[in-house]
Amino acid sequence: MRRRGWIPSVIGALTAAAILLAAGVLMAVYQEQLYSNQQAKSVREQAQILAASASAAILFDDRKAAQEYVDALRVNPELQAAAIYGGDGHLIAGFARGTRLPALLTSAGSGSGAGYIDIAVPASQNGAHAGIVLLRALTEPAERRYARYAGLILLVTMGALVIAVLSFAQAQLSRRAQQLASVNTRLHEEMEERRKTEEALRQSHKMEAIGQLSGGIAHDFNNLIMIVKGNLRLLKRKLGDETQGSAGYIASADEALDRAANLTQRILAFSRRQPLMPQRVNLSTLAQGLSELVRHSVGERVEITMRLHGSWSTLCDLNQMENVILNLAINARDAMPDGGRLVVETRDVTVTEPPPDVESQSFVPGDYASLAVIDTGMGMPEDVRQRAVDPFFTTKPLGKGTGLGLSMTFGFVRQSGGYLVIESKPGKGTAVTILMPRDPETA
Amino acid sequence: MQPRVLFASVILGCVMPLAPAAADASLEYAVKAAYLPKFVPFITWPDSAFDSPAAPVTICVLGADPFGGKLEQAAGGVKSGDRAVTVRHLAGPDPSAACQMIFLGPGDPAVAEGTLDAMKGKPVVTVTDSGLKAHGVISFLIEANHVRFDIDDAAAAQDGLAVSSKLLGLAHAVKQRGQP
Repeated sequence: MRRRGWIPSVIGALTAAAILLAAGVLMAVYQEQLYSNQQAKSVREQAQILAASASAAILFDDRKAAQEYVDALRVNPELQAAAIYGGDGHLIAGFARGTRLPALLTSAGSGSGAGYIDIAVPASQNGAHAGIVLLRALTEPAERRYARYAGLILLVTMGALVIAVLSFAQAQLSRRAQQLASVNTRLHEEMEERRKTEEALRQSHKMEAIGQLSGGIAHDFNNLIMIVKGNLRLLKRKLGDETQGSAGYIASADEALDRAANLTQRILAFSRRQPLMPQRVNLSTLAQGLSELVRHSVGERVEITMRLHGSWSTLCDLNQMENVILNLAINARDAMPDGGRLVVETRDVTVTEPPPDVESQSFVPGDYASLAVIDTGMGMPEDVRQRAVDPFFTTKPLGKGTGLGLSMTFGFVRQSGGYLVIESKPGKGTAVTILMPRDPETA
Repeated sequence: MQPRVLFASVILGCVMPLAPAAADASLEYAVKAAYLPKFVPFITWPDSAFDSPAAPVTICVLGADPFGGKLEQAAGGVKSGDRAVTVRHLAGPDPSAACQMIFLGPGDPAVAEGTLDAMKGKPVVTVTDSGLKAHGVISFLIEANHVRFDIDDAAAAQDGLAVSSKLLGLAHAVKQRGQP
């Protein structure tokens, strides 16, 4: 996304470098101009001084005096030659170091040659023309000047390159920082994901352990109940008609045993140990068939809406599924003591991601027949929602619920290869969704 | 001004070597004729010496003319400031003549001395020829066959004249101002 973000800053740095370079070259040219102008000015001033002082010597053709004036300039190493010419242009006095002076000079002016400049000024006294003074000054060789400027330009260029490299590095650094930040965010997300998965796994293990324990107990308990029940039946037969008023006791014990058997049956259902008789069930058809019973169970204060859009069938125990639907409807009614709206909804869904609270390892993506029971009741806080399927956990008043309804539903659904999803918010209501695997042989 | 220059002697031998003076008097006077107008730019007269700001500097030659027209020739091209240089010949002493420079030739020494006395205190540059005993502000002399000149700067100062130090530097000898 920001991979090319360093390009503008590097372009900026290079532009700055180019501007610096151009400024450097301009400065060099300007300095060069200034230098030669100043040199020419300084040489001209020296020539004018010489011309002013030597005018009498020129006018009276005093070569010795003129030579002394000229020789005074020898101390200036910049001067390659100095000469005084008379009114008729002939050389009167002068000196030259490694150069040749013109023998005749009749006009003032300036010129230049390889490594020197010539400045010739007229000498006069009170307006009377006397002659011409010529100074030839050495100029710094071009190569040396250019070498000096090249050094300067090299420095400027290197500075610019350093800026470019620094801004490139800076861009790289900020890119790296952004990458790190995004990696960090992903890590946090993955940690959160992992925490949720672990929570789901822990819950799953807990249910597994409780199921095994309670299932084992319930199974043995059931056998014991059957023994007691059988013996009770034998006792009843032996007594025959001579029960002498004890028939009521036997009936009461028998009834209690039935209830105990019912309870163990539920525990077995939760621990997925109940014997199931799977058959092809269409949840929409089933819910439609149960609608009258549901209406009767929830009472008149709850408005019931059936949205039966599902067409896929599933393989499950018909009676247990009926129990589940009734159970959920009764739970919904209990959540709406002041009345409300109950929605029973079926849909065909294709699930690719594990539903909430389902650990990903046990999840099988695919087609599911979904049945949801949705109420507008009081809802559940998150901690209650998480424990809702725990056996014997109930929020109902003592004696009103066993705490096994949702546990049983959960056990049955899992035993049938499906999933139970509970969504709830306090004050907003609860939606319990059952996802049953689609029977592959149905259309 | 460098001291060496001040004491430098004027040597003109290279261009105009003078053979025995008597043998080549015309060359000697040609040099003197060239010198006379050249003195003009180095001398400053008071304004009272001229009738007008543009009036020429007049060089008067008293008595016989030893230059034979060469002086007019030399003066022709010379200008000092805005002033031209003209030459005037005087047969005898003429106090009314407006001269700024007067050349006293080798004629009668008495006339020369009388003129020098008459010009004392006036802004006139008196130039005396070599061989004359009396000396004006500028006096020619011959040394080693070369024409040279002495300058009496003290007399020039009394006359209200200013002689440029450049010219003083070229002189054979200078009588400084302030000296008796």
